[in-house]
Amino acid sequence: MTIAPKAPRKLTMKQRYEALTRDLDWEPSYVETSEVFPYTEFEGIKIHDWSKWEDPFRLTVDAYTKYQAEKDKRLYAVLDGFAQSQGHLSLTEASYLNAMKLFLQGVTPLEYQAHRNFAYLARHLNGPGPRFAALCQSIDEMRHTQTEIHTLSNYNKYYGGFHNYLEQHDRVWYLSVPKSFFDDALTAGPFEFLIAIGFSFEYLLTNLLFVPFMSGASFNGDLPTMTFGFSAQSDESRHMTLGLEAIKFLLEQDEANVPIVQAWIDKWFWRGYRVTALVAQMLDYMLPRKVMSWKEAFELYFEEQMLGGLFQDLAFYGITPPKHVEHAIAEKEVLSHQVYWTLYQFSHAAAFTTTFPDAEAQSWLSDNYPGTFDKLYKPLWDKEARNLEAGGRHFVRGLPQLCQVCQIPMLFTEPDDPTTICQRHSEYRGEKFQTCSDGCQWIFEREPEKYVQAWLPVHQIYQGNCGGPTVPDVLAWYGIQEGDGGEYKGSLDAAHWARWHDAADHSHIGSEA
Amino acid sequence: MAVNSIGTYDFPSRSRQELYGDDQLVHVWFQENMWFCASACFRAPKAMTWGDFWNGLLVPYAEEDPDFDPGARRVWTLHGEVIEPRDDQTLEEIGVEHKDVIGMRVLA
Repeated sequence: MTIAPKAPRKLTMKQRYEALTRDLDWEPSYVETSEVFPYTEFEGIKIHDWSKWEDPFRLTVDAYTKYQAEKDKRLYAVLDGFAQSQGHLSLTEASYLNAMKLFLQGVTPLEYQAHRNFAYLARHLNGPGPRFAALCQSIDEMRHTQTEIHTLSNYNKYYGGFHNYLEQHDRVWYLSVPKSFFDDALTAGPFEFLIAIGFSFEYLLTNLLFVPFMSGASFNGDLPTMTFGFSAQSDESRHMTLGLEAIKFLLEQDEANVPIVQAWIDKWFWRGYRVTALVAQMLDYMLPRKVMSWKEAFELYFEEQMLGGLFQDLAFYGITPPKHVEHAIAEKEVLSHQVYWTLYQFSHAAAFTTTFPDAEAQSWLSDNYPGTFDKLYKPLWDKEARNLEAGGRHFVRGLPQLCQVCQIPMLFTEPDDPTTICQRHSEYRGEKFQTCSDGCQWIFEREPEKYVQAWLPVHQIYQGNCGGPTVPDVLAWYGIQEGDGGEYKGSLDAAHWARWHDAADHSHIGSEA
Repeated sequence: MAVNSIGTYDFPSRSRQELYGDDQLVHVWFQENMWFCASACFRAPKAMTWGDFWNGLLVPYAEEDPDFDPGARRVWTLHGEVIEPRDDQTLEEIGVEHKDVIGMRVLA
């Protein structure tokens, strides 16, 4: 009697993951390992056993694509419904979209840069586990770029500020803040990038950088962005785990890695924290319906969860909380007010609008910042109210001094004195450089040869590299059009919004001249 | 500490003096006046007189403050020292170098 051959047994998920990663890896025999992976030694990080990298997700390509396709299907169904039902009219107010303009111009291009660098890690890390994890994250980041663009493109039909975000990311003064931050990470080695983006950006600060935009969307009727946020959330939790796994892996591999990693945490906490300045003002000033104050967000997501939780765990490896963290804590009472006051005065050169906070907004600020708003910032707005009554509107008539590292105008104050602008001076090869804080100065002096190359928008304008010497020349070069920036009241967005809400017949919407 | 890199790492500053010819960048730090959210940056010839710097660059910028009083008494600082610039002195004669910060405070 013959016995029929058994059908091949189906592999378990775990076996398939093993086959995909470990089983497809090999030791090079014709060339040295260092020739195949030339970038994993120069940073001084020592890895003895790449197989110790634990990927808690054990994704495979088919599982990954199936799951992502389902999420995309849900998102695109929401986008279609929102577009067809003129959903943009149910936002709290057109001015809410300033937050999304900032997101599309400042954050979406970073997703694409993250895609690029994770693709690079997917090739250049020695271990097959981290290579595959980086590959998945690289695809995630590309998907985020695409879905964010699709999600926000609907608003581009009706509102200013959305039409030229990519070129603006490369050119406009306030966008050089997120751009130069990410460029700094892209030009570092692979391990520093993992700590900079995988750990500091995606883990340490993600609840202060990414989540506030999505919560803002949910509080202000922006269903598409909220749905995108949910769609990205499961990826983000995977990215957070990758970031945490990366840092633990480096720390466990060799004790000599600890001081290197600590210095990167010190640097990238402060670099990332400075980028959150844009988020702080968005939460406290840009959202018509507030989610929570910056101070509250900082206390919950950073002080409680990170300093109180994560860094307690990392202490086991000899890692201490980041340098200069006490200055960030001290700034939570003043940060958003100083940044918005600055954006308010420079929004004639921005692709978003700003406006005077009305009585209700000021009362919220006063309640949420009892120690600082009434004393320090309300007097400024009172003076501006008199200015507005007299027919003025405060826009700065010139260009600000920028910090050589974070590239934010020099608006930050001394940690112990919120009325004195902080000026830090350094010299390198006989040239003077200014930074906005002890944190940025420390970063500059650690690697001055890197930061002397900074493409500071103000200096570039003065060198004649930005379209010409006048404000209209520069705005044209930025691709900023009438209706993109300036004061919100009386803007094209505000006028359209009022007209659309007054109109009984909405059939003409979007066909305005 | 220097940059860790895979090769020679030596690049010029993107804001070195020579890129501005006979001009230089000059920063003005408005002290004890929060109306100006940040310090200002001007491009000015090294041979520009203080009078021209004041009338041509600084006053038009500072006039944006409704309380600006051009005749108020001011304390000027440079390199941590108080200076008393005269209108006919050039920026170079006063000792202002590329990317210096001049502090400006109105006396009460």
